[in-house]
Amino acid sequence: MSNIQQFQYDNKIVRAFGVASFVFGVVGMLVGLIIALQLLFPSLNLGPWLTFGRLRPLHTNAVIFAFVGNGLFMGIYYSLQRLLKARMWSDKLSWIHFWGWQVIIACAAVTLPMGLTTSGEYSELIWPLDILIALIWVVFGINMFGTILTRRENHLYVAIWFYIATWVTVAVLHIVRSFELPVTFTESYPLFSGVQEALVQWWYGHNAVAFFLTTPYLGMMYYFLPKAANRPVYSYRLSIVHFWALIFIYIWAGPHHLLYSTLPDWVQSLGTVFSIMLIAPSWGGMLNGLLTLRGAWDRVRQDPVLKFMVVAVTAYGMATFEGPMLSIKSVNAISHFTDWTIAHVHVGALGWNGFLTFGVLYWLWPRMYRTELYSKQLANVHFWIGTLGIIIYAVPLYWAGWTQALMWKEFTPEGTLAWGNFLDTVKQIIPMYAIRAFGGTMFFVGTLLGVYNLIKTAQQGTFLSNEPAEAPEREHRMELVPTDGHWHRWIEGRPIQMLLFSTILIAIGGIVQIIPMVFIENQVPKISTVKPYTPLELTGRDIYIREGCVGCHSQMIRPFRSETERYGEYSKSGEYIYDRPFLWGSKRTGPDLWREGGKYPDSWHYNHMYDPTTMSPGSIMPAYPHLLEDPLDLSGVPAKITALRTLGTPYPRDFEKYAVGNAEEQAQKVAKNLAEQGIKDQGMDKKEIVAIIAYLQRLGTDIKVQPAANQ
Amino acid sequence: MYKYLLQSVEGIQWFAITTLLLFFSTFCFAAIRAFFSNKEDMRRMAEMPLKD
Repeated sequence: MSNIQQFQYDNKIVRAFGVASFVFGVVGMLVGLIIALQLLFPSLNLGPWLTFGRLRPLHTNAVIFAFVGNGLFMGIYYSLQRLLKARMWSDKLSWIHFWGWQVIIACAAVTLPMGLTTSGEYSELIWPLDILIALIWVVFGINMFGTILTRRENHLYVAIWFYIATWVTVAVLHIVRSFELPVTFTESYPLFSGVQEALVQWWYGHNAVAFFLTTPYLGMMYYFLPKAANRPVYSYRLSIVHFWALIFIYIWAGPHHLLYSTLPDWVQSLGTVFSIMLIAPSWGGMLNGLLTLRGAWDRVRQDPVLKFMVVAVTAYGMATFEGPMLSIKSVNAISHFTDWTIAHVHVGALGWNGFLTFGVLYWLWPRMYRTELYSKQLANVHFWIGTLGIIIYAVPLYWAGWTQALMWKEFTPEGTLAWGNFLDTVKQIIPMYAIRAFGGTMFFVGTLLGVYNLIKTAQQGTFLSNEPAEAPEREHRMELVPTDGHWHRWIEGRPIQMLLFSTILIAIGGIVQIIPMVFIENQVPKISTVKPYTPLELTGRDIYIREGCVGCHSQMIRPFRSETERYGEYSKSGEYIYDRPFLWGSKRTGPDLWREGGKYPDSWHYNHMYDPTTMSPGSIMPAYPHLLEDPLDLSGVPAKITALRTLGTPYPRDFEKYAVGNAEEQAQKVAKNLAEQGIKDQGMDKKEIVAIIAYLQRLGTDIKVQPAANQ
Repeated sequence: MYKYLLQSVEGIQWFAITTLLLFFSTFCFAAIRAFFSNKEDMRRMAEMPLKD
């Protein structure tokens, strides 16, 4: 007979992550609302710090890593302790994890508006922060595995498998995505370039969705939904299949972000096949969640917690049906680069992550504060205003996506583009942006009501920092093959083996897709006329990255007649071999820029940056007058040339010694062009504008150059 | 079909096909064993969140 042991659960750390989640939820959503309004009222772009290009990554990072990140830590810290019948292994590590994560968020909130970014979506943070993230993630891992290894419960419930898979996969993704060569304290170049970096980025980006926004929340669903419904999960068997199938398949799906790009067909096809297969485990999980409520649907009508959870799981089902559909090439040809993608991710972020977080918060707060929820009615109002907000947010964007795609692709009977001016396709969807902003406002108001409700609940209750509990001491050894023959019990008692199996499964997908792409030379056919950027163009490119232009402009012309007619020759993978980082983008709020070089005179770009509406009446692009004023800083150029040469860019030996002079010479040429075109401001060659003009005029022009042998 | 898709990489078809087979067998193994597992055990594990 085992000894009964007394111990206490740590609620303080759960509360800390919960508070951080809803505080950063408010901040992240507010920034989202601001950038939605900036699309309607471009004068709200308060440059240089608060323009759309710089705020958009702040919004995505705040929602993903601050709101959802703190939310998942809240869920894990609460459920892990109870499922293992153990306090977190180390209180000290818990708090290092908490404060370390908040420091990362605070640094992101400063660096992103400053324009310090790597430009990779969801991996924008600069290299010192990448290192900090890795360290804090390790602290979290040590604490989690320490708790698992010192547990009192032999079996690891399914939620914990999802937590283990989350930890190991995010660690692998983050490390591989962060292979970069630092140039200064805030700048670095990625190890891979062009199409190879694009593959690594979207292997990372998609799996950030999978293993940061999905698997930990599925773990939370498997714990908190049965708790809230007071009944066990519908099928534990299904949860086993759900787990193994999901983690194996998810890791392959990344290339669906690069369909019709210059990525080799075989990688695109693998991405499509696995994305379509993904619907099976995803829906298995969703149905397992919803069927848990069998016989309890009457309670859903009365209990706001269950309402939030039901909509969350339903939104998960909708998003995971839509995802595979969007991965079919013919559907992707319509949806990609449009607002359809934005609608899709918000069904997931607002519905699945947002509503599950609120559901868990409404369930946790009264329990940790030993009281009732302050106002059930207010929670119901939050539920309805939030649900309607999601619908009013998403539907206009689906409409906008279709509208824009159809306009981009429409030809006249004479065979010319019906909407040759890209701006016409933007003006058409402005009313839908307005409705979207209204939907977002509703969701935001609902969130504020939720925060008020939680604060009032806390005020009326008494917080239980250390919750007393008792459990028998753990029986350490389990038979290798249980006498009842159930194989899965074996692995459920062995977290390290579970970790290894999970790692092997997720590694297979990455290895098969990425290794051949990265190491097989002929995957990227070389083009002899494609040359490295000049020092001035490189500087202009860094300004392009700093201003977040990639948030609205793609640099990837797909091989469709509608695109070659509008933009020019379709993109070739060999054109991007010197692009570090790649800047293909994933949204066209403005037109593609890959063949921008030589399209307009330098003066057009000068005027367009000063005030876009002078060149494109009705444009919603922010103005960048500061580029005309800010001095051109070439001091970092030699180090950049050296770093790029280290990574394989064929700059001549000792070129770094002449690079600044080379840049100044080209700057003078651009200034001379501007003067000839009527812009005769003094000292123009010393301003940032000449660098960005040089870069834009270079884009996509290399393949137009005749090879030396033919000249 | 797979040869057409994968022809640009020599020998890559074995990489991908092995992986697909591995996935298929892992999935089938997990599914078959899960559905033939002990009912009482499953019930006990499913109730773990309710007993903390």
